[in-house]
Order: sequence, then C-alpha cells, then structure tokens
Amino acid sequence: MRFHAGALRTAALVAAVFVATRVVYRVVFGGAGGSGILLLDLPRIPLGGPFAHVALFGPITTGGLWNAAVSALPFAAVILAFGLVNAVIDMRRLFVHGSTRGPLRAISRSLVIAWSTAPALAQAVRRLRRAAALRGERGTAALLVPVFEQTIERALALAASMEVRGFAARHPLPAATPVAETLAPVAELADAGLHRDGTPLLSGMTFTITPGTFTVLVGPTGAGKSSLLRGLDGLFQHFDGGHQSGRIRVAGVDRATTPPRETAAFVGSVAQNVRLGFATATVREEIGFALAVQGVAEPARTERVRATAELLTIGHLLDRDIIALSAGEATLVAIAAAVVARPRLLLVDEPLAELDDAARLRVSAALRGLVREHGVAVIVAEHQWELWQPLAEQWLQIDGGRVRVSAEAPAARLETPPAAPAPAADARHPLAHVRGLSVAHDGATVVDGAAFELAAGELVALSGQNGAGKSSLLLAMALADAAGTVLVAGDDVAALTPAQRRRRIALVPERVDELFLQTSVAAECRRADRADSPAVPTDTTFALLLGQDAGSPSHMALLLRHPRDLSAGQQLCLALAIQLAPAPDVLLVDEPSRGLDPATRQMVGLALQRAAQHGEPESGRAVLFATHDAGFARSYAERRLRLADGRLRAEDAAVPR
Amino acid sequence: MSRATWTALALATGSLLAFAGFAWPLLASAVPADAQRAAPFVAMALVPAAIAVVALALDREMHSAKAVALLGVLAAIGAGIRIAGAGVGGIEAVFIVLILAGRAYGARFGFLLGLITIAVSSLLWGGFGPWTPFQMFACAWVAAGAGLLPRIRARVRGGADAASADAALAALSAVKRAGRLEILMLAGYGVAASYLFGLLMNIWFWPFAVGMGTDISYEAGAPLGTNLASFALYSLVSSTLTWDTVRAVTTVVGLALLGPTLLAALRRAKLPAAR
Repeated sequence: MRFHAGALRTAALVAAVFVATRVVYRVVFGGAGGSGILLLDLPRIPLGGPFAHVALFGPITTGGLWNAAVSALPFAAVILAFGLVNAVIDMRRLFVHGSTRGPLRAISRSLVIAWSTAPALAQAVRRLRRAAALRGERGTAALLVPVFEQTIERALALAASMEVRGFAARHPLPAATPVAETLAPVAELADAGLHRDGTPLLSGMTFTITPGTFTVLVGPTGAGKSSLLRGLDGLFQHFDGGHQSGRIRVAGVDRATTPPRETAAFVGSVAQNVRLGFATATVREEIGFALAVQGVAEPARTERVRATAELLTIGHLLDRDIIALSAGEATLVAIAAAVVARPRLLLVDEPLAELDDAARLRVSAALRGLVREHGVAVIVAEHQWELWQPLAEQWLQIDGGRVRVSAEAPAARLETPPAAPAPAADARHPLAHVRGLSVAHDGATVVDGAAFELAAGELVALSGQNGAGKSSLLLAMALADAAGTVLVAGDDVAALTPAQRRRRIALVPERVDELFLQTSVAAECRRADRADSPAVPTDTTFALLLGQDAGSPSHMALLLRHPRDLSAGQQLCLALAIQLAPAPDVLLVDEPSRGLDPATRQMVGLALQRAAQHGEPESGRAVLFATHDAGFARSYAERRLRLADGRLRAEDAAVPR
Repeated sequence: MSRATWTALALATGSLLAFAGFAWPLLASAVPADAQRAAPFVAMALVPAAIAVVALALDREMHSAKAVALLGVLAAIGAGIRIAGAGVGGIEAVFIVLILAGRAYGARFGFLLGLITIAVSSLLWGGFGPWTPFQMFACAWVAAGAGLLPRIRARVRGGADAASADAALAALSAVKRAGRLEILMLAGYGVAASYLFGLLMNIWFWPFAVGMGTDISYEAGAPLGTNLASFALYSLVSSTLTWDTVRAVTTVVGLALLGPTLLAALRRAKLPAAR
C-alpha cells in the first residue's frame, strides 16, 4: 500500500485555515466575547434594515477565542479524515478497475484518460510555449488555443484507437473459426466507393485480400490512403462521418452496417501518429487494453500480453511508462496493442515515416513475422513504397480516386528533377557567424562547439540521424539560450530583445502546426501582419511560396480554411510565410520534408528556394534546413553540414550533380 | 418509457435531491425540532447520493469512444487550469472550459464534464474534502446550464445556395453576427453562473463555517427572514464581493477573448450529440 503524504499535508493546511476563518467570523460578528481575560474591548456596531439582528465586533476575550477555535475542531477533523483517505487509497487503481467492468465504465474510462492526459498536457504546454516564443508571442492566453486544439486532436485520435480495439462494443462479433481462417478472404470489395460531404474520394474499388498476405497501399499524400484503411476498419463510415457505396466485407461482415468496435476481435488497426492513440499509462496496460475491453479475464490476459510483447521483441518494455518510449518503440507497442486480440486483418498507416533506419528494420521484421508465421493479412499504407518491396505480395496503387491492383511493384517513379541550385557565388556576402555553439540536455552534450558561416541567398542543409541534435542546434540558434555566439549581420543575437532577434533569425519548428494560433488562414496572416508589419502582406507571401497567384479564387478559398485542415505542404508554406513576416536575415527550418510524398517535397523545396530569394546575393537571406533525408538535401541545398556525435562538419562543399 | 426519458427523469430527480442537500439550512426549519439535528448529516449524504444517481444514468448515455475520450481530455484541461489557478482563488478560469464545452456538446456532456473535472483536480491536487461533492454538483450545473440555453441560428436571407459572391458575403456576416450574439449570451450566463455558484457553495457551508454564537450564525428555530438575512451577510463578506466577482470578470473576459476560437475548436470535433 502506498502512502501519499502530500494529500494529508494539504488537508492539514485546509483544516488550519478553516479553524482560523471560524475565529475571524466570531470576532467580526460579535461572538468572541465570554469568560477569560478581556483582550480588546471593541465597540459593538449594530446594523440596520433587514440586518437589524446583527451587530459587528464587540469585546474579545481569551475564552471567546478558545471557544471559537474548539467549536471548529469537529469539522476540521472531518477534513483531516478526508485527507487521510485520499493519502491511503490509490484512486487511479479504482478507476482502472472500474473502467473494465461495472456500471460506471464510461466515467471511469474518462477518469483514466484524464489521468494519463495530464502529463502529456504539461509537455504540450512546454512545447507550445517554445513555439509561441519562436513566433514572438507572449502571454499564456495565446497558448490556450493551440493547447486546446491539440488536445481535441488527441481526443479524437484516442477515441479512434479505443473504438478499433473494441471499446463500448454492444454486440461484439467473435473471431472467425479456424476453418474459415484458412479459406475465406479477409476483405472483399466490390465496386466500393468512399465519399464525404458529397465529394467522392475513392470509387470503383474491387479487390480481395487473402489471409497471410502482405499488401502495400501506395499513392501520394492526400490521395486517400488513410481513407481506404479507415474504410476497411470502419472508422470512415462510423466515426469520421463519411459514406460508403458499393460493397465492403471484412471477414464476411458488412462494413457499412457494422461499426469498428464490433469487429475488434478480427480487425486490428494502427493509426499514423501512434502516440496520440495511447489510452493508458503503462506499456502493459496499453497492450492489454483490447483484451480488457473485450472482457478477457485474468490470468489469460496477462499471459496473452506477455506473449504478444515477446512476439514483437518488446518484452523488456512491459513496465515502462508509455510517455518514456522512443518513436520506434512506440510504433512496436501500438502494433502489439493492435494484434493482441489476434486479428486476421491488420491495417497499418505509414509506420515508417517517423523512424530512422534501425527502427524501420525492427518494425518491418515484426510485420513480416505476423504475416509469415501467424497468417495475418497485413495492409500497410506508405508513399515511400521502395522500403516494402522485399515483403510485398500485392500492391494497391491509388491514382486519381481509383485503386489499381497488381502483383508487381509500381513502375519506377519519374522524379521530375528540381531546379538545380546555382553553384555558390565566389564572393558571397557573409551574413551569419556561429562560434562555439554547445547544447547539453540533462548533462549529456548534444551539440559540441559547432562553428559555421551562412551567406546571403544561400540554402544550406543540416543532415544527421534521428536524435543527432539537429533540432537542438536550430533551437539554440533561434532562442539564443545556449553556450556560444551567434552573430547575424553583425549583431550578437543573445543581446537582442525577442522582437529584434526575430528580425535577425527565425525558426520554423518541426511540428509547424504549433505556430498556428487562429481559426482561419486569413486570420493567421493578419495576426502576422499586425505583429511584424512586413513590406509584403503575409497572405501574398503565402501565395508566392505555394507558387500561386495571390488574387486567384483558389487562393482566396485557401484563406478561409482552418490552418489545421490544410495539407502538410500547405501548412509548411503558411508557417514559412508567418516566420518570414519579420523579414529575418536567417531562416531556420526543421525537417521540412518529413513524411511528404515526392510532389509535395518538390513544392516545399521550391518554397525554400523562394524564401532564400535564391540567386540574389545582395538582398537574399540565408536558409538553413535540418533533414534526415539525404536525397532532399542533395536536391535543394548548395552546401551540406553534417551533425554526428555532437560534432558538426562540412560535407562536400560543392554538390556534384 | 425510452431510455432518454429515463435519463431525463434521473437527472431531474438527482438535481432535486442535490438541491435539497445544498439548501438544507433553509429547509431544516420545516422539519420537527428533533429531526433538525440530523439535517447536516442528511445533507452531506444527499449530494453524493445524487451524484451516484446521475452518474449511473449518464454513464450509459456516454457510451461512445468519442464522448469518453473528449470527456477525459477536457477534464484534464479543466483540472490543469484549476490547479494552475489555485493560487489565485480556485475555480476561476475553469468556468470558461465548462461553459463552452456544455454549450458545444450539450447539457448531459457538460454535466458529466463538471463532475469529472472537479473530481480529477481534487484528487490530483489533494484538495479532496467534504465540499468536493458539492463543488462537483455545482460545476456540473454550471456546464449543463450552458447547454440548455437557447440555440442561436444564423439568419441567412435568400436561398441557402451561395451562388453569387454577395450572397456568400451576406451569409458569412450573418454567421458572424450569430457567433457574436452567442458569445454575448454565454458571457451573460457566465456572470449569473459565477454568482449563483458562490451562493450555492455558501449556503450549505454557512452553518459549518460560522458555527454557533455569532450574530450571523444559522439558527434552526429562527424565522426564515432572519436566517436569510444572516446568510446574505455571510455570503456578501465571504465570497460575493470577492471570489465571485473575480470569477465573473475572469469568465466574461475569457469568453470574449477565447470563446469564438475555442467553440470552433470544440465543434470541429463533431460529437454526434453536439450542436
């Protein structure tokens, strides 16, 4: 049993305040008189009107004060008793217990979620405070909106992940019999279509998925890969408010009429941002969640959780807190949580986008094992399909709202070669000097004495593996809060006020949506205009970066959208436009190409070149972007810096093309 | 009877029970003298019992993953705000979240959010005491009340099809007007709710806080008028002029500054029961 002394301390404090207040009331409202020594003989002041029975003050005696304090003791004791109960009983265990059975399941589950959201909320507030500082915003009121937006997004992702794991199922369908398992297709689509708000997203889909096969779903960002996966697990029809036409059957069940929660025993699903979907506080609880809500009793549950964790090589993580996982570990835990109920069909949405090479190998090996040894049919959505080529047995290719099925990998992409970066001019005007920049986190050195220069109009890449310290280096430059010197146009940025610093150096963080504070793109642009009064209005800069005409109807329509409803590429361009508003000499961009398909990457690359006002060495600015994508760096940067083991060094000065 | 009717009945009964628990000092004079001694204990038991009734009825209503997840994360936000603001007087800014969520997702959702927010923040902070059930219920009423306020529709002239640019602009400004009107209504409600919340929290606690032997003490046998006057004076000096006023001002300012954006964020989540 644990003892939580803090609760008792708080109760003692509250009880003391209660007693003191009682004494004050007695003194003010004529009740502190009586036996004992007369301390103070205040005059009695009678009140009039409806308060005629009340008189203020009056004599104060030691006996009167003592009686007042003693009379408050019984209630003070009740307060202490509550404190003691709170100190001894671990309420969280009660909620966890109540969330799996009993008449208060929904409320208990909400309490568990609230409990596990609290630390994530604190993290979000810290991150957003930093983002607000990068945008030059002060005050906590500006923070509340993005915290709120992010929290709602978390709620929806969480709800979806609970739904596909069988939460609140009324008539759950049992897993199919082993005989059917070997023969029948796990998914059959016949002239199926998905549409939302009257707009068709996908149509004319006809294909089948057989057990024990590996299928890769390819297509550019925004083509409808996630919609198709959600059409199969039922979230599209029963959670997102979309509509289905034609026929979709999953393990023989009609998807149009059966919500995801009823099919959790044989359909597993892993969403894109797995961390948002975690519903519990520890790895063990998370993997066991589906079993708990599907009513699998102990000790079978514990055994299944252990076996599933072993299968995915994460047995050693079982007692870890869910927020202490790396990106690769989090993906494996999410897969484990989806397969613990032994589904016949597993849907995984872009599992590799956030991972480095080592983690990618672990995840793909785990998925291969599920297909080969356990007969699960796996469908993975991915725009970097090359990564899955060795595994894939069937390809689904989305193109213009249609799905093409083939046994062969898609034809090699004809990547349009981007505009070649101009070779570095001989005598560039040097704009920024970085000297001896070092960053340490929790005593560990992340960046050690970085030193480099940036010239006007040049586009420089900062490359390195996940966790190499690229983001830390960029943040330290933009916030001027680390050891070392950053000189921009002759000014030491550490000596400038935040507003002045933004005119020298600005950073677009990796999660660009952290910069957004408004509910429409137009309002976001106006806010930037008010704060930084740029020479060119921000919405015009936004159009320019997108390569659009500022007055065109399509651009006007874009301005009315919610910033978070924009595509990833458009969000990045909006963030660039906002951070370009103060006309900084140096623009830093963190991972601009992460998770983007080739076409969007090209758009972003061109936007970065426009931001640098490429080819104008006099008026141009320096743009430094961090990326772990070597191809992107090669295509757009004229010069590359590489960060490894905390050390920064120049990679080949001139880029061979 | 349908389940919705049962829930409404349970909510009404629970609220009535709880109200009796809150107003016990005024109701006790109606019972025989020897029963009056038991009144405070009955009150302390009534409110938790009412919470149980309402929670049991509403739990079934909230059986969708979306509602449960939204309840959880919004309660975490509310609790965070309440704990962060504890140094400056407790339940100030949390009203903003409660009122907006109650408005966006309806009275039943709001009711549960009020209950859960206070429960979570009290448990996290350690400020768990005999007053917690009362606070839970009072906050639940505040959030539910916002959901019961009349719906405000944008009055769009002409057809619904925004074929011409003029019609689109007119529709847009009508929507904006309706939005402003809604915030104005919520702000007015926020002021009323702030003071009523103070009065409710004072009335049941008043006999405990002051005890016997002062001129504003609760006297079981005294005429109702005297007791009401004593209570009015107690409430005035204890919270109406101070905490309640701060709360009303915070709520109005918060709703005016953040209301439209937060309401839009809540409505983007498209909870089926939302409006």
